[in-house]
Amino acid sequence: MKSVLPVLTVIGAILLFWIVSVVPMNMHLTADLAQRQDIVVTPDTPVARQEYSGIGLALRNPQLFGMTYTLERPRLPSPHQVVVEMWNTIALQNITSRRSLVFHGWVTLSATLVGFVIGTGLGILLAVGIVYNRAMDMSVMPWAIASQTIPILALAPMIIVMMGAIGIQGLFPKAVISAYLSFFPVVVGMVKGLRSPDGMQLDLLRTYYASPAQGFWKLRLPASVPYLFASLKIGISASLVGAIVAELPTGARAGFGARMLVGDQYGQPLVTWAALFAAALTAAALVGFFSLVERWTLRRMGMQAV
Amino acid sequence: MTGTAIISALAIWAAGWFINARLANSAAANTRLVRLLVPAIFGLTLLIMWELLVRLLEVSPIILPPPTMIADRFANEIPTLWADFVQTIVKGAMTGYIIGMLAAFGVAILADRSDFLTRGILPVGGFMAALPIVGIAPIFVRWLGSDWQSKAAVVAVMVFFPILVNTVAGLRDTTAMQRDLMRTYGAGYWPTLFKLRLPAAMPFIFNGLKIATTLALIGAIVAEFFGSPTVGMGFRISTSVGRLALDMVWAEIVVAALAGSAFYGLMAWIEGRVTFWHPSQRK
Amino acid sequence: MKKMMMAAAMAAGLGGMAHADAHANDVTLQLQWVTQAQFAGYYVALDQGFYEEEGLNVTILPGGPDIAPPQVLAGGGADVMLNWMPSALAARERGLPVVNIAQPFKTSGLMLTCWKDTGIETVEDFRGKTIGVWFFGNEYPFLSWMSQAGIPTDGGEEGVTVLRQGFNVDPLLNREADCISTMTYNEYGQVLDAGVSEDELVTFMYEDQGVATLEDGIYALEENLEDPVFVDKMVRFVRASMKGWKWAEENPVEAAGIVLDNDETGAQSEAAQIRMMGEIAKLTAGSNGALDPADFQRTVDTLLAGGSDPVISAQPEGAWTSVITDAALN
Repeated sequence: MKSVLPVLTVIGAILLFWIVSVVPMNMHLTADLAQRQDIVVTPDTPVARQEYSGIGLALRNPQLFGMTYTLERPRLPSPHQVVVEMWNTIALQNITSRRSLVFHGWVTLSATLVGFVIGTGLGILLAVGIVYNRAMDMSVMPWAIASQTIPILALAPMIIVMMGAIGIQGLFPKAVISAYLSFFPVVVGMVKGLRSPDGMQLDLLRTYYASPAQGFWKLRLPASVPYLFASLKIGISASLVGAIVAELPTGARAGFGARMLVGDQYGQPLVTWAALFAAALTAAALVGFFSLVERWTLRRMGMQAV
Repeated sequence: MTGTAIISALAIWAAGWFINARLANSAAANTRLVRLLVPAIFGLTLLIMWELLVRLLEVSPIILPPPTMIADRFANEIPTLWADFVQTIVKGAMTGYIIGMLAAFGVAILADRSDFLTRGILPVGGFMAALPIVGIAPIFVRWLGSDWQSKAAVVAVMVFFPILVNTVAGLRDTTAMQRDLMRTYGAGYWPTLFKLRLPAAMPFIFNGLKIATTLALIGAIVAEFFGSPTVGMGFRISTSVGRLALDMVWAEIVVAALAGSAFYGLMAWIEGRVTFWHPSQRK
Repeated sequence: MKKMMMAAAMAAGLGGMAHADAHANDVTLQLQWVTQAQFAGYYVALDQGFYEEEGLNVTILPGGPDIAPPQVLAGGGADVMLNWMPSALAARERGLPVVNIAQPFKTSGLMLTCWKDTGIETVEDFRGKTIGVWFFGNEYPFLSWMSQAGIPTDGGEEGVTVLRQGFNVDPLLNREADCISTMTYNEYGQVLDAGVSEDELVTFMYEDQGVATLEDGIYALEENLEDPVFVDKMVRFVRASMKGWKWAEENPVEAAGIVLDNDETGAQSEAAQIRMMGEIAKLTAGSNGALDPADFQRTVDTLLAGGSDPVISAQPEGAWTSVITDAALN
């Protein structure tokens, strides 16, 4: 709670910077528009105006400041424009309608969650394998790292086409791409976590004559829980990004990614910005949810979260 | 035919696994050679399986080309691949990486001086880091044009937050005893920063820098999908898909993987030199 | 035990029959872009029951920037696709034997839109300018044109600097490019919507320049066309689709409404779709669905004349068939 004031201050500073920047960012477009409406603009030809930066043009044309905040196709929308657009598509629309951001949010979220579950499951299994099997440790880890350098936007269409070839369409291919992006943080975190018990603790279990399986369930797994949660938080936002990226090659049908794309293509930047913020809010909510679960779990396990 | 293909693929997998298991559990397991050999054999096994399955199942090269075709295309198109590499990685990703890194350091030191700022910046920065790049990239391309500058900007924004968080965490990592020691030496804020806290923060900083290397690569390539001059890895990948030249797409992916691994390896090597004193660097 | 076996056999039999039934009546169409009035004919046929009347069960898959319809066809994800002829012919040369079975679009809507104040008046004035071109199959007409005009496309004073245009008109509006590629039915309207008036612009229609190529055509895989069940399915599909197109031409506003109903993103605007339908109707008028061999040859000649970098290297054989349209339209 004591973070509320600093957070509000920083948000306030960013909002102020945003509001002030709207003027120079939109000035060239506004000047073109104003000239067509026979308002005096200095200088008076588009070609001459190209010589000036946004700020220079703004200083010469203070009469256009107001217009920069109400453009239909702004280069930088004003905060109030984004809020109005989000309000229109979230609160003023029937949730099941295709014009509602909530509907699209659910489409993206469902792929995210399925992909996240697959990615986390796979990641944990892989981590257990890496910790307990030397061959896996030496062979798989470098390739897991290399797999993250492959641009997912290039692989996504291929994965979708290949899955389409065997008749799998819809949610599952998107979930696969989400899983691809989320499994790596989970692997890294769990490997670190499963290896975190120190020598003394491992010896203690040996004095109890514990089998490797017992050692796993009673020591390694509990010790890895804080690391697991850290990775889950990274994994869920990576999963969301994966679901959005996957929406492009599946034909921009529904979901945040589809909205961003169609907004960009048809000259409706407000649609894109609204979808962008909605996606970020969703990610923040998911990470926040996992933070709460983490705090509750660690308190119950007696490992008070730091 | 399908049955033969699957059985032979599984046989290759089993063979590769057997070799790796023997190597990993042998006496020579810790030598440099074996440590390089095991992942190499794993990768080779996958490639052979890929080639086998594509050829035996007669998968169209428009859907998935075999590795030999990709290697062939790679060898023939080195000038194009190099030009793309320079445009995307050198001009786009590296410039953005350096800008993002310097900005992150600046903000971290600023935040370090003020606890108030730290508690404000970290949560807000977390929210901004959650903005999906697929949404940010077209906006930056619209603002900064289609050339490498917009790609560098996207990369700078993407790497800024991981480096910032890790640097702030690192600057906090000194113990009270160490800070008191500096005070007994009469050291002010800046000498303490340079002689104690920055060196102590290095392990964390490099953790952030390594994470940022993969983000930088991906950011630059994705940004090119939304507008670019007629050169660049993202451009090449996208137009090659349109021309059904899937082997070129995979050749570019190979370049991306090599560049990304090399960049990550470079950071890891520098980390080894700078943080030689840290327990994680013990052999 | 015997009852179970009988039940299983019946189920398998019924399943088999259902499968055979599906094979004869299910059609999956892969569009080459997102849902918009450019594909109104097919959505109208679905909505107005023309496909149902023919006994067909049609699924329409929207496309997008990362979807290459030939690739989807190759992977078996669709039975038919829409594609521009240059892209389809190039796919044939790359080893994917797609065949044109119908051509609803008679004329081309491709154009270059330039700012008048850049001083561009003729093709020669392109030298030294920056021109936005889409890729992903749409670059072939442009490259062919420049090759015929003898203008290099790698920049410099004597050539054009090509910019890979994203899928909007911003490069023109923020003056990053002097000219951009636009379709009469989409992006040109967007430029006007942004407040630009027509007398600030200079336009070049590919049709007027004599370098137009055939656009949206219906294509299927050659091997599928050897199956009589598939051919019969295609005949019914083309017949119903053309009926949909003619209905759309006569009822543009309703057709736009049908497209909007099918737009899953909910982001399309009615005004833009009505305008698009009006312009598309101009392109489909004059075609009853049958490919005119003279049009085909004109497209092939344009592509072969591409000089140093031709899109295709030889006269295509067997790239189109009139078997489907002959049966469908008679």
